[in-house]
Amino acid sequence: MKERTNKYLCPYCSTTFETFEDLKNHALAVHAGEPAPLPEGMIRLTLNGEKYQVQVQPEWTLNYLIHDKLGLTSPKMFCDRGACGSCTVIMNGRPILSCMALAIECDGNTVETAEGIADQEHPLVETYVKHHAMQCGYCTPGFITTAKALLDKNPDPAEAEIREALGGNLCRCGTYPQHPKAILEAAEILRDSEGGE
Amino acid sequence: MSVQKEYDRMIEMEDNLGFDKYPLKDFDQIGRTNVRRLDGKEKASGRAEYTMDIQLPGMLYLKFLTSPYPHAEIKHMDTRKAEALPGVRGILRYDDPDLPEVADLGGHGPTAEKPVPKVAYFEGEPVGVAVVADSEGIAEEALRLIQVEWEERPFLLDVEKALETDAPLAHPEIYPENNLEVEHAETHGDVEKGLSEADRVVEFKVTRRLHTYVSPERPCGVVRWNGDYPEFWLKHQRPHENKRAISSWFDHIPMNRVEMHMPYQGGTFGGWTQFPWNQGPMYCAALLSKKTGRPVKYAFERRGDFYGGSMDEGNYHFRVGFNHDGTITAVEAKAHLSNPMWEGFGPGNHFEDNTRIPNLYAPRKVIKVNKGPNTAVRCEQLPNTMSFTLVMDRVAAELGMDPIEVAIKNDGAKGHDMQWLTERKAEVGFTPRDSLKECLEKGKAAIDWGNKWHPPGTHKLPNGKMHGIGFTWTHEWDDSCGSGEIAMRLERNDGTVSILGMRCDNGVNAETGYCQIAANELGMRLEDVFYRPHTDTGFFPMCPDSSTNTGVNGWAVRHCARLLKAKILEAATSPRAVTQRGMYPPHFPDMKPENLDIKDSIIFVKVDPSQKLSVAELVGTSAEAGPLSFHELYGAERHPFSIPLFAHAYQAQIGCYKGFRPKFCRQTHFMEVEVDTETGEITVTRVVNVNDVGKVISPESCAGQQYGGTYMGVGRALFEEVVHDPATGVMLNGNLLDYKIATIEDCQDIDTHLVETQQGYGPYGATGIGEDIATVVPALLAPAVYNAIGEWIYEFPITPERVLKALGKIEGE
Repeated sequence: MKERTNKYLCPYCSTTFETFEDLKNHALAVHAGEPAPLPEGMIRLTLNGEKYQVQVQPEWTLNYLIHDKLGLTSPKMFCDRGACGSCTVIMNGRPILSCMALAIECDGNTVETAEGIADQEHPLVETYVKHHAMQCGYCTPGFITTAKALLDKNPDPAEAEIREALGGNLCRCGTYPQHPKAILEAAEILRDSEGGE
Repeated sequence: MSVQKEYDRMIEMEDNLGFDKYPLKDFDQIGRTNVRRLDGKEKASGRAEYTMDIQLPGMLYLKFLTSPYPHAEIKHMDTRKAEALPGVRGILRYDDPDLPEVADLGGHGPTAEKPVPKVAYFEGEPVGVAVVADSEGIAEEALRLIQVEWEERPFLLDVEKALETDAPLAHPEIYPENNLEVEHAETHGDVEKGLSEADRVVEFKVTRRLHTYVSPERPCGVVRWNGDYPEFWLKHQRPHENKRAISSWFDHIPMNRVEMHMPYQGGTFGGWTQFPWNQGPMYCAALLSKKTGRPVKYAFERRGDFYGGSMDEGNYHFRVGFNHDGTITAVEAKAHLSNPMWEGFGPGNHFEDNTRIPNLYAPRKVIKVNKGPNTAVRCEQLPNTMSFTLVMDRVAAELGMDPIEVAIKNDGAKGHDMQWLTERKAEVGFTPRDSLKECLEKGKAAIDWGNKWHPPGTHKLPNGKMHGIGFTWTHEWDDSCGSGEIAMRLERNDGTVSILGMRCDNGVNAETGYCQIAANELGMRLEDVFYRPHTDTGFFPMCPDSSTNTGVNGWAVRHCARLLKAKILEAATSPRAVTQRGMYPPHFPDMKPENLDIKDSIIFVKVDPSQKLSVAELVGTSAEAGPLSFHELYGAERHPFSIPLFAHAYQAQIGCYKGFRPKFCRQTHFMEVEVDTETGEITVTRVVNVNDVGKVISPESCAGQQYGGTYMGVGRALFEEVVHDPATGVMLNGNLLDYKIATIEDCQDIDTHLVETQQGYGPYGATGIGEDIATVVPALLAPAVYNAIGEWIYEFPITPERVLKALGKIEGE
């Protein structure tokens, strides 16, 4: 059997110790009261307002985690390399491409998908339906998340700003002209509802 | 209306010159705006399910080997290391003794293809071996461990080189003589005579480079065996063909034991549906699922999706004779087409279909090269629309005439003028209207043609760019050669209507349209009608949700609704039930069905609408005595009752390709551009689409095909080009970073208009629209750019480089 060469590693702060006793004393002295540290590969995620604790492999993308492992179908794989926007999710308030983010690097982050946006009855969903801002629907969730992130940041966007924000989202059916209409109407609904409160 | 009569009508629609002889009087749901899309919430929330989303317990992933060479044969293959890799569950080799020599892999009709070939005819072709493993990663690793000894063969990429006498053979096993698969020609009159009699003759050559469809969801499928029978999830436009093919793979499993699901489809645009070879991986998945006893999913890589191209790739050579007044006397259009499926298409059909041009000769050579197969990619008419636009606009330019005048001077059909066409319209029962003129009026006003059109190269804008404006036109091709079936039933308890049919949705909002037709025909409220997709009940609509929604399926829905309505009114006037204790009288005693009608889901007496009964009351409730719930207690009827109400209808229509079928609806399109003569950059600033769709079912859905098609067309015209390395035959840009499709920023203002002359062969005089705009718009860029810079650019896509070349600012290729 191979001789153990590792020293004792503190799971809280990675300091090494010669003996287990030393480690124990250190942990009690320095880290008592702290929550138990996560095993390697375990991440915490707030996804659509719900808390998750998931064991991930280092090579998993955030898209793979959300779509294939957690079963949320909205972040779609269209181009496979960060060129189409279909897998867009909102992470810590910013629209990001979930196919280009490693899940293991997302520990502690807050992520929002189209499902979450729909569940909070965000007006975008209904204005998208109303204006036919979809055809085959495959890229639609990526537009919804991009649009939601835009409205969160800019509640009163000009049409040019909307077009610029959506410049990275590909739609092969060519539904593009409908998106600014849907987003402008949703922005108006949001402003009216906030003004009324 | 008797049931027999409606069946007679279905038969009547097989008439080649059929039209809607029994139109509705009132359109309350058909043509309505603001009808909520049935698929809207599901798609906007990301919860709509696509085949790529399907995951099953224990599912394995299939990956197939692709050829690194454009033409090569496998001499030897060692798969031992891959077999030993943990997580690999099955391997299927080309030399597996259980593999048949050929199998029906579907496509455009039954086919006989090698399911796992050992010869690759293009780089990227699935060939040699398929692997299933616990994860995609393991399957990819297994492929890397497979050692293949290839014998490379000479290859061809260029159609002209392929025609040279000493050219190598691109597909020697299939075409051992030479690389010319076949030659066809559309012809009438005498072109040489027409050219010699013309005041003037112009000759020019055009090249269309390869482009592809880029459907957002890649080709994919899932298969699982339940006991002795398979269950499939497919991304495909023709589930009925898959079912036939799949059954044949397993010693003709009875069709009623093959189960199919068609989830939503992330874009199809034709393409993959017509290729048999792409079903090879599906075949392997089915076999390996059976062998391993586990579900198997296969999906092409994004790059793999790029190997299927559009069938307009090739070179075109035109000679056109015309007179000083703009009448065209002869068109010779010769096409050399690269690898088109089903023997190619065009380039002469639209001169036949739309013009009075007396002399036409349009031969096409179908040439094999070592690139992927090309097929109908929204759509097969691309060679035709391109030829038509470029010839018409070139003649106008040569004469310095308004191209709209040239259009009017040549409008007609089959070499005949408008008088002849008017007679044909009347002959098949339409009320003749001049569709082109109606489309022109709307379009000219929308684009402000009178003020904007100018001599070429004369309008410099304040921003320093050159302004250009272009115009084109053609007919609406209703792709209505097909058949489909639909069923409908009334639900118990509330009398709502379920339309039963297989889903094959790729986004054109057809299911909502079917509900509008059914509600309108039945007299039901729209919210009481729902398209209930049945995954595998056998109700296969025609190419569901691709070419022929309205043209064929619209008819089937209409027939079915009329049959169901007849049955409802019959039930309302017939005894509801006869039991051991006697007969229960009709809801409307002493009435005949023809005395009743339905409006807003209420059955009423025509002469006295106060006598009424809701459809919900008619069907009765479901309760403790079973789903039909007729129950007597002490001789009294406890629950109202009527017979179950179900109808089934079909449409079998002889389409526009079978014999001559004059097309009466026209479309016009206008495009404005700005050309930067320093950089060669073209900006499309405004497009106006005017389509005579005969009769509008859903205005928003029609508009969706217009602006959506315009975006696709603009991208094709400006930058879509699949590039192969001439030295290695390898595709260089099979991804969405290096192959650009249009983004929201690539077209500015799109203005869409619809015309309804009711001169189509669909129900209510409707015709299709989905294929048209993306097919007509690409070539329209050439006259628009010509108008801006005074130079014709006949190499598509019209890239900045080609603009600068035309302006003489850089050297040619």
